[in-house]
Amino acid sequence: MELWGRMLWALLSGPGRRGSTRGWAFSSWQPQPPLAGLSSAIELVSHWTGVFEKRGIPEARESSEYIVAHVLGAKTFQSLRPALWTQPLTSQQLQCIRELSSRRLQRMPVQYILGEWDFQGLSLRMVPPVFIPRPETEELVEWVLEEVAQRSHAVGSPGSPLILEVGCGSGAISLSLLSQLPQERLRGSSWMREDRAAPSPLWFTDSNAYHIYLARLWPRRKGCWSRVIAVDKREAAISLTHENAQRLRLQDRIWIIHLDMTSERSWTHLPWGPMDLIVSNPPYVFHQDMEQLAPEIRSYEDPAALDGGEEGMDIITHILALAPRLLKDSGSIFLEVDPRHPELVSSWLQSRPDLYLNLVAVRRDFCGRPRFLHIRRSGP
Amino acid sequence: MNRHLCVWLFRHPSLNGYLQCHIQLHSHQFRQIHLDTRLQVFRQNRNCILHLLSKNWSRRYCHQDTKMLWKHKALQKYMENLSKEYQTLEQCLQHIPVNEENRRSLNRRHAELAPLAAIYQEIQETEQAIEELESMCKSLNKQDEKQLQELALEERQTIDQKINMLYNELFQSLVPKEKYDKNDVILEVTAGRTTGGDICQQFTREIFDMYQNYSCYKHWQFELLNYTPADYGGLHHAAARISGDGVYKHLKYEGGIHRVQRIPEVGLSSRMQRIHTGTMSVIVLPQPDEVDVKLDPKDLRIDTFRAKGAGGQHVNKTDSAVRLVHIPTVECQQERSQIKNKEIAFRVLRARLYQQIIEKDKRQQQSARKLQVGTRAQSERIRTYNFTQDRVSDHRIAYEVRDIKEFLCGGKGLDQLIQRLLQSADEEAIAELLDEHLKSAK
Repeated sequence: MELWGRMLWALLSGPGRRGSTRGWAFSSWQPQPPLAGLSSAIELVSHWTGVFEKRGIPEARESSEYIVAHVLGAKTFQSLRPALWTQPLTSQQLQCIRELSSRRLQRMPVQYILGEWDFQGLSLRMVPPVFIPRPETEELVEWVLEEVAQRSHAVGSPGSPLILEVGCGSGAISLSLLSQLPQERLRGSSWMREDRAAPSPLWFTDSNAYHIYLARLWPRRKGCWSRVIAVDKREAAISLTHENAQRLRLQDRIWIIHLDMTSERSWTHLPWGPMDLIVSNPPYVFHQDMEQLAPEIRSYEDPAALDGGEEGMDIITHILALAPRLLKDSGSIFLEVDPRHPELVSSWLQSRPDLYLNLVAVRRDFCGRPRFLHIRRSGP
Repeated sequence: MNRHLCVWLFRHPSLNGYLQCHIQLHSHQFRQIHLDTRLQVFRQNRNCILHLLSKNWSRRYCHQDTKMLWKHKALQKYMENLSKEYQTLEQCLQHIPVNEENRRSLNRRHAELAPLAAIYQEIQETEQAIEELESMCKSLNKQDEKQLQELALEERQTIDQKINMLYNELFQSLVPKEKYDKNDVILEVTAGRTTGGDICQQFTREIFDMYQNYSCYKHWQFELLNYTPADYGGLHHAAARISGDGVYKHLKYEGGIHRVQRIPEVGLSSRMQRIHTGTMSVIVLPQPDEVDVKLDPKDLRIDTFRAKGAGGQHVNKTDSAVRLVHIPTVECQQERSQIKNKEIAFRVLRARLYQQIIEKDKRQQQSARKLQVGTRAQSERIRTYNFTQDRVSDHRIAYEVRDIKEFLCGGKGLDQLIQRLLQSADEEAIAELLDEHLKSAK
């Protein structure tokens, strides 16, 4: 392929120009097949950075570092063993790097190229077009954990609240909450009956099936109760969340439901009890901003996970409107939003006193932009 | 001509317990070997063979000469690889453009490898000189010129010495440095328990005195922290702080259970004239320097490399590095999760500002205790002092010393034992290093 030829040419006639030969690359090696064993990790990173930069790929250096590190079995280039930086790579490794880099040249996001990414220390699978979790959202999870800790401290007993996540995507928020929340064995649950014989499928493709299932029962299990219900309208997201839950051995504590919460029908019967918390990173991009998103986002991520309508508020208002039916009294909603939304949400809530919701707190992200909302239900 | 036998017992990890026995018979014209040391080698070898028959023994090899170690292929290959790595690093640093952080890490690695590469180079040159000298010697023998022969032999001797020195240097630099080696220690002794009699307490006092004398011998400061005597002149437990040069390095292998077997002459137990067994335990805790630096979060600024625009869903960037701006500045890009990087950066900053936080100190001391004091059962002994047979044997290196009275004076006898312990620990460390290298090379 042309790219390969170019790479070879660049290697052979590049920085070694000053000397007569690239003697050092060949000295004391045993005779190797011509391409394999030529390049070490550092050279490859340098080479591909140059290639990416020439083609205007953003984050050229970071991308090539992540790709090379991934092929060498590490998560980041910095965490590679120093000895590996200068060791020659095998031809399979070179081939692998070439393939992954060619995808980067198509502007595929690095997370999709590697097929995985980290969130709050968990390693999650990433598959297009399911939305890639952003670093800001890690702070949302931190906030929720703080609130839970504070609340259980006030109540005096370690609590494991019932949490609903709307729009789970890859399952990042739900799974990182579950992995850091204490496990609690529920005694005498008021909203579930016991049935040891019933099987327990973990996710449903259709909300009707879900209702039918619930007519049978969730068996009581020893140890962990599922305390997170994750909901998404895309089947791809549901299966990815399921896969990640299994990878992290959290599949017993999470209910993953294929459900479009914007459709009225889904919420008419509430088979489960009121929630303590609703968490969401809903699509909040203003519709007119969608065109200006980077090609990585526009071409590979699901636009439905990003587009929030004219003012980016569509899904947000939906969630808030459902709160009275879903939330316990003094339950909380935690949202990640656009920096312009805190005001908009505040005024919208004032126009809807029937919801009995108050904007309690706005938190800034690590760039200082107002990013997270805490809304509390208080009333009948 | 003196010969000495060196048995290399080498368990290769990939061969699943299969033993490779490598015997080299080496005759060397210019080396004097004591009869005693030879006997020791035999004794060690016997023990080594016995130990190897049990599967769980990791590699243990016995040698009297670093030269033998050098001849081992694994070490040679390892040194070759290191020197190759060094050369390629040098070339990379000069010719390939790297960004700042990578450059720093590369420089660090380069600095690590520099002394090793230098020694390796010297060894190769010296070996070449030896070869030349040998060939010259051979040609000389034919001509039978006495004077030249003598000169050549002298030259050979000096080169030999030089190369042995180089081997030792290499050996020393290869051994990974222990973190606390230079530190001062707190030495604690506690008498064990027996059914009746105070043999343990008497023994504890003798051992404590031995260590006090040893500190004198090594010109260290011995500061008494705690002394709880028992009746009839014994000692329940005592603690002392010993400070000086490389105290922990020398005393770290003293921690453990010491066992005594004797017919007591003094104290309660001396009433019945039969052999008593007792134990006492020694704990050696490294004392890090305490530097108190306060970390005020208000003085920190956390920098992350995120977009200038709206951020959030609008942007997908993989740069998750976090920088904490403080003196000193800490950067972290070890993980892909930004919040993890922040945590790590905080941790690194604290570690740099505090040498040891007080709680960490205490916790480490606690855990060191757990390691060193087991159940105080007799099965965990590291050393046995047998007064009736007048010998001290250390069970970890199967080493025996005669003249127990002299040993308890804490002078040369104890020092020699400690040197042997250090040497064998170094050997094991290098063996481990080579083992890892072999494993990773697969």
